[in-house]
Amino acid sequence: MTRARSIGMGIVHLWPIALLLLSWDAWVVLNGYTSTVAPRPWFVIADVFTGFADYVPSILYTLGMALGGLVGGTLIGFVGAVLVWWSAALSGVVTPAALIIRSVPITALIPIIARIVGYGDPAVLASTMLICFFPAFVFTLSGLAAIPEAGRDLFTVLGANKLQVLSRLGVLYALPNLMVSVRITAPSAVLAAMLAEFLMGTSGLGALFSQARSYMDMERSWGTALVATVVSVLVFVGAQLMERRVESRLT
Amino acid sequence: MSSTATLTPMETKPAEHATRTAVSVNRADKIFTLSRGKKLQALAEVDLEVREGEFVAIIGPSGCGKSTVLRLAAGLDRPTNGTVEIFGAAPHELATQHRLGVAFQEHALLPWASVRSNIALPYKVAGRKVDDARVDGLIELVGLKGFEKARPKQLSGGMRQRVSIARALALSPDLLLLDEPFGALDAVTRRRMNAELARIWGEEKITTILVTHDVDEALILADRVVVMTGRPGRVRTIKNVDFPRPRDAATTRSPEFHELVDELTSLLDANDGDAA
Repeated sequence: MTRARSIGMGIVHLWPIALLLLSWDAWVVLNGYTSTVAPRPWFVIADVFTGFADYVPSILYTLGMALGGLVGGTLIGFVGAVLVWWSAALSGVVTPAALIIRSVPITALIPIIARIVGYGDPAVLASTMLICFFPAFVFTLSGLAAIPEAGRDLFTVLGANKLQVLSRLGVLYALPNLMVSVRITAPSAVLAAMLAEFLMGTSGLGALFSQARSYMDMERSWGTALVATVVSVLVFVGAQLMERRVESRLT
Repeated sequence: MSSTATLTPMETKPAEHATRTAVSVNRADKIFTLSRGKKLQALAEVDLEVREGEFVAIIGPSGCGKSTVLRLAAGLDRPTNGTVEIFGAAPHELATQHRLGVAFQEHALLPWASVRSNIALPYKVAGRKVDDARVDGLIELVGLKGFEKARPKQLSGGMRQRVSIARALALSPDLLLLDEPFGALDAVTRRRMNAELARIWGEEKITTILVTHDVDEALILADRVVVMTGRPGRVRTIKNVDFPRPRDAATTRSPEFHELVDELTSLLDANDGDAA
């Protein structure tokens, strides 16, 4: 009974998606769009299910690039923040560099990145890392800055050196913050990977979208967008679960 | 009996083996610079000598700089004028040698660590192997057996304070500084913690400075009570407390005890008058 009820509740909570699909369909039909302009949702969904095998390699590639870039960018941001925390001299170098890189629009930067690190995988990975590193940098820095006074005093009277303060106190106070950054950058990582793939990659969902468009295969290109959305949401949900686990373990 | 290793197994009275000076504060001023160049004098010419093995309590009205004296002794702050020496050296050296134990007003426990790892933290920071028997003994000493794996958020306020005291004792420090460790507790728990602290001190005989605003607490625990004036904090008077130990209910109910409580309380009240 309760199980049936919880399934029922789950379905009820899906109403925004149902509404979206219905209004999408109505929009296409009422405007009399042909499938070249905008395909009906049912054909897009059918393409995703029947041609799922074609999607899988692209999904895996984009997911791999997004996660790789997310982890890499987060690590770089984390290390940058630790360096800034560690020394004022390094702070003078790292902080402006981080701000400048952050301020350049990523779309404009991708061709340059590709020129430097090479077309294909390295460029996709590098662009994704670039998107992810700044939030990680900022959030880690705020976590390190928020080490409680009492904790600092404790480590001083225990005779701890700076490395111990960092490893036994700072890192653990910064980690929940870092997980917030992972959660908010995770969908952007998927976006950045797809954008890079779209602009110059040869594989991944971005490339699949670009190909499908050039062949006027609208079901496939809309299907790619749909799949990308689902992947993005799943990555976000995964990051949120991790964030909660870290949060409950550390605080 | 607990398996705790005692630092000084001597059963002698503190006064008899108190030959060395543990803490010596000489004419210490502390002036804090506030925003817009305003200055706040927290301490004025504070003189304090604590002998080794002695338990000294500092009482005074709130905001009189009691905690500042403790922070000077811990090497967390430096006096603006005057000197502070701990065992003849600069205060921070004691910390560097891992010979200092401090229990703060805020317990400062690591939220991600269990009771056991919180108490073992000083070993890890000192780069020493954790003495499991000693940690177990301390857990028993502060009455937290069965809570070894609990995290701070699962403990009550009193339990957290006890963990913090056990942590301060972990390395058998040469100097123990307690900054209103029971400040946040209710009266009943507080009395119980006082008794426990007296018992722990009886076993370890560590040179201790306790900052408190509770006159009873000071008289139950200390060999000497330092009364400070309101801001800027000065040493108003120092009282010897000669009640025999352990100071149980019979002591605290005695007329002499009450007389001393009244005397010290009136000194505190007088301070308020001076400050106003």
